[in-house]
Amino acid sequence: MVVLLVGALAVASTAVAAPGLPPKPAKLTMAVVAGGETKGLKAILPMWEREMGVKVELVEFPYPTLYEKLVTAFQANAPTFDLLIADDPWMPKFGSEGWLVPLDQTFGYQRDPDIFPVVYDLGSWPPPRGPIPPGEAGKPRRLYAITLVGNVEFFMYRKDLLPAPQTWDDVIANARKVHDPSKPFYGFVIRGAKGNPVISEFTPVLLSFGARIFDNNWRVVLNSKEAVDALRFFAVELKKYAPPGVANYDAAERAREVATGRAAQGFIWPAEITDIVENPAVSTVIGKMGYTLAPRGPGGKHAPLMGNWLLAIPKASRNQRWAYEFILWATSARVQRPYALGGGIPFRRSILQDADLNRRFPFFKAMADSLAAPAEWRPRTQEWFAVEAILGTHVNAALAGIETPEEAITKAAREIERHMKEAGYYR
Amino acid sequence: MALLAALVVYPLLYNVGLSLRNYRTGEFVGLHNFARALEDPQFFASLRATGVYVSAALATELTLGLALALLVHRTIHSGWARALVYVLFLIPMVTPPVAAGVIARLIYTPTYGILNVLLLRLGAISSDVLWLSEPATAMFAVLSVDVWQWMPFVFLVCFAGLQAVPADTVEAARVDGADGWRLFWHIEFPYLQSLLLLVLVFRFTDTFRVFDHVQVLTAGGPGATTEFLSLYLYRVAFKFFNLSYAAALSLFVLLVTSLAFAVLGRYLVREVSA
Repeated sequence: MVVLLVGALAVASTAVAAPGLPPKPAKLTMAVVAGGETKGLKAILPMWEREMGVKVELVEFPYPTLYEKLVTAFQANAPTFDLLIADDPWMPKFGSEGWLVPLDQTFGYQRDPDIFPVVYDLGSWPPPRGPIPPGEAGKPRRLYAITLVGNVEFFMYRKDLLPAPQTWDDVIANARKVHDPSKPFYGFVIRGAKGNPVISEFTPVLLSFGARIFDNNWRVVLNSKEAVDALRFFAVELKKYAPPGVANYDAAERAREVATGRAAQGFIWPAEITDIVENPAVSTVIGKMGYTLAPRGPGGKHAPLMGNWLLAIPKASRNQRWAYEFILWATSARVQRPYALGGGIPFRRSILQDADLNRRFPFFKAMADSLAAPAEWRPRTQEWFAVEAILGTHVNAALAGIETPEEAITKAAREIERHMKEAGYYR
Repeated sequence: MALLAALVVYPLLYNVGLSLRNYRTGEFVGLHNFARALEDPQFFASLRATGVYVSAALATELTLGLALALLVHRTIHSGWARALVYVLFLIPMVTPPVAAGVIARLIYTPTYGILNVLLLRLGAISSDVLWLSEPATAMFAVLSVDVWQWMPFVFLVCFAGLQAVPADTVEAARVDGADGWRLFWHIEFPYLQSLLLLVLVFRFTDTFRVFDHVQVLTAGGPGATTEFLSLYLYRVAFKFFNLSYAAALSLFVLLVTSLAFAVLGRYLVREVSA
């Protein structure tokens, strides 16, 4: 049945491609981020070249450089790239500037029920929910990108010692049960380094407590009881069970603590699982880890965080039609399987729920549940990086004990408001 | 000349132009971005942190570098031993600051960092010191990398300066009964004076603009305790994308470093013409 369904979906995916492709280009040039995110892509490229006879050349850039290169190429309207992968917080910039080819309007892309609606929401501009940046609300909503790397943040725990936590109370109860610094074995590990690391970690807690950073008019509503409670829980309660020094921990430190059997629970991104936690070459906890949705807070909400990498076509590309063909091909159910087996992070429902694949990749179901939750995205504004830098400084200060949770939230809210004002969001 | 204009003058003028405009609308706002700095608590916090960093780094590097130069100058006379010291002191200077930051991060990491492991085994501490996540120790950690990397520069310059002191003058002073301190103060120090000023200005401007290893080691944390001016400027420019305010702040940095070089220039002119 599953095979039939997958087959039907594969046919459906290729069926939406308009007939009569233009002549084959010599190659398609694709800008990608350097690192594990392209592992699956590299695994399927020989298959594409065999099937289609068009070479895809990957041009790899480190994370910050990729953004700069893309923006520079877009501003110059240079046909440097035919395809790109973009981190999802870049969509507000790329969408507002109109730098990408609308896939639905240009090629008649049809939505596929095997793809989680949140994936389409993420690739659409203006965003279909939440506040919309000034000047963007009147624009017609188009689909500009489709996920390739289904990154989403969820939760890991030692299933050999603990039950799967559903709520933050469960997490604390679990932590209490196993926390023993003398061993050392810690109940919870926090990725607490200043800036993006601590905000990736804190946002699911903040949202699960029912707090928000902005209302629907971009007014800062962070200074709330819910937000202070969330930060107190994060920087005081959870920290009680964390290894010393987590205020300077990034992803590598967090994954190491779990993989070496020194920590019982924490948030996790898929790439850290394949690279470290479930990598037999470095991990001592193979088969001992369980994966589940980000815990529910007093706000009653699971709030896993979205971190997808999206495939898109720059408007200046001279091979748009073939680039679109590549997107259809790479995101089809038929190709997502070898993509996943080759180390890629898939995003299709049928792939993430596949029993066989789940035996091999025990975190796929948690990913499917997180995308269906649906996963929360970072507020859709070009100013997010500033907001993250401000909040990331104060949350880190609270975690290090330099500021109280009240102080940290008050200062962050004030500085974010000032920034949004300067950015022209209100007078 | 045209190249100089293209590489220096144009970017500088462009920066000045940028600092006088609204970064979003391009509208002319006069000195607004400079006035904004005066009421920006984060700017003053970064300035304070920079002040602490610069004074501590300069005091330590100059004192240690000079002391070590004197020690080696007076105690090691063999040519190959001096060459060995030279090579050893060059290693930190040729290490890229980012690599130094990564190494330091591994050393200072709690629980498995070598520093805590050694201190615990020696019994000097009973529990892990959180080097990078407490304000005072984080400042110490970022300073230590600077001192490790750049104290050798002070050493090498002072050591070279000491070689210029005429041996017969030193010998005459010794015959006259000058002890170590007097020898230094009355005979050697005058030879080192202009070199020390040169070193001071170079190290001042370098530490005032410090960025790389701090970004790797603490990224300005915990909170904003090691967020020096250059890190704050980076945040304003590349996180806030407020390029106009960043341009205004960068002109402030340019002003301070230029003043330091002006002092040096004036002194050197006096020395040469004396």
